[in-house]
Amino acid sequence: MSLWRLEWLRLLRTRSWIALAAVFLFFGLLGPITARYMEQILQRFAGEVSVILPPPTPASGLEQYLGNVMQIGLLVVLAVAAGALAFDQPVERAAFYRSRVRRVGRLLAPRVAVVTLATIAAFVVGTLGAWYETVVLLGDLPAGAMLLGMLLTSLYLAFAVAVTAAAASFVRTPLAIVPIAAGVLIAVPLLGLLGALRDWLPSVLLGSLVGLVVGVPPVEYLRPALVTLGAAAGLLWLAAARLERREL
Amino acid sequence: MTAAASPPAPAAGAAPPIVTTRGLGKVYAGVTALADVDLVVPRGAVYGLVGPNGAGKTTLLSILVGLRQATSGSVDLAVGPERVALVPDTPSFEPWLTAREVVALARSLVGLAPSAEAVSSALRLTRLADAADRACGGFSRGMLQRLGLAAAMVGEPTLLVLDEPAAALDPAGRRDVLDLVADLRGRTTVLFSSHILADVQQVCDTIGILRGGRLLFQGPTRDLLAGKAAPAFTVRLRQPLDGVVAALEAAHWVHVVERDGLDRLRVTVASVDLAESELVRTLADAGARVVGIAPAEVDLEHVFLELTG
Repeated sequence: MSLWRLEWLRLLRTRSWIALAAVFLFFGLLGPITARYMEQILQRFAGEVSVILPPPTPASGLEQYLGNVMQIGLLVVLAVAAGALAFDQPVERAAFYRSRVRRVGRLLAPRVAVVTLATIAAFVVGTLGAWYETVVLLGDLPAGAMLLGMLLTSLYLAFAVAVTAAAASFVRTPLAIVPIAAGVLIAVPLLGLLGALRDWLPSVLLGSLVGLVVGVPPVEYLRPALVTLGAAAGLLWLAAARLERREL
Repeated sequence: MTAAASPPAPAAGAAPPIVTTRGLGKVYAGVTALADVDLVVPRGAVYGLVGPNGAGKTTLLSILVGLRQATSGSVDLAVGPERVALVPDTPSFEPWLTAREVVALARSLVGLAPSAEAVSSALRLTRLADAADRACGGFSRGMLQRLGLAAAMVGEPTLLVLDEPAAALDPAGRRDVLDLVADLRGRTTVLFSSHILADVQQVCDTIGILRGGRLLFQGPTRDLLAGKAAPAFTVRLRQPLDGVVAALEAAHWVHVVERDGLDRLRVTVASVDLAESELVRTLADAGARVVGIAPAEVDLEHVFLELTG
């Protein structure tokens, strides 16, 4: 029974994988349908007023999916990550691990890696669902752009887990970790208000899937991808350094 | 009697102590939890750390196993940290793991090769074999305590640190734990904290008394019991006892008379010689109907109260 198997079991036995897969798949299937029938849906609530929308495009199916999943889905990711990363709570359980494992990185690595991989797997499943439905209902999507967009969005999700790990080094309980991590992820795009930073922020990657599909050159996402990668690594280093020094 | 304990020097040729602390101190937000503690745990000993609530026992043990850092002083462990196992007073594990998985995980965490036999053996030793494949989320506190012990034992520790190991157990469970600790004597050094002094007296060959973060005494249990307690006699009488108690309390060589049940008195005296020559005469003068007189067994509780009271 290694620490890697422990994290795998945590994912299975706490049903976290179901929560992750369900939320991504649900919005993956719902997004393109909503985009396809948005006009009819709004018309039902509009009464006598006539609702006319531009014809839906394949990109709008993805937009609907990402709009939902990067809010509610991301909150589920933060909750699952916080549950795994709050390893100094309760203290007696933490003592079991901490008194046997000297380097906190040995505990942190499998927890971060398994949650990140599970999140990316859930995102891929949801996106494949959205892709399929978009093709059926709205038209073709370019495969290369989709795959690159999925890769870049996965990088952002890994960043979100790293933010959660860093938050877990400041507070101990999942209930405290989630709002801090969510607050940081909400605050990051606000830095874009400072014009010079706008194109460098990790949050730019949230729009990469749709952007690439509508023809934005991939090179536009190179800088935010590098920043995201560096920031995630820095946050994990910060988490490990702080947790190493934290007393029970 | 609150003289600071000085570390006993190891005998010539004896193995060096497994734990030595020098001037160990811990301060939490201006409050001193430990002050100048010089703990010496001999290799192979069963060392009992006793003290009232808030004495600093858990803080001291936490520093020894690396869960907290000392504010001052030093800790010298003669073994690597992977050879030290801690069982906290209320062990907690992932509730969705089975007992067998917890013990296997504990073995893996200290870097030992997987061994189904070692895991089963630890579970048998702690009487958890029947519950081995049950999720530990449904375990009672006593079962969790025993699971904590199994998780510690499977790591084949050289130093086993137990924080109040019997506090949550029923009498049978407590007996099991004490027997287990006694069995480890000579093979594994055991350092255990407890406020159940009878347990400590029963299994510990070395003792440390902690109060207010200071080590008041440490050394062999027999030295403590022989050297620190005032002499006392147990007197068993027919009722009524009131007149006899009054007569004894009036005697200048009697320190304290305590009732111990309906027909028993514990008489703490200034000296054994005086008591041996005067006790029977005083009882006779008071018209006591004596059933029996015997030197009182010196128990740790009385010594502890004298030291910490």
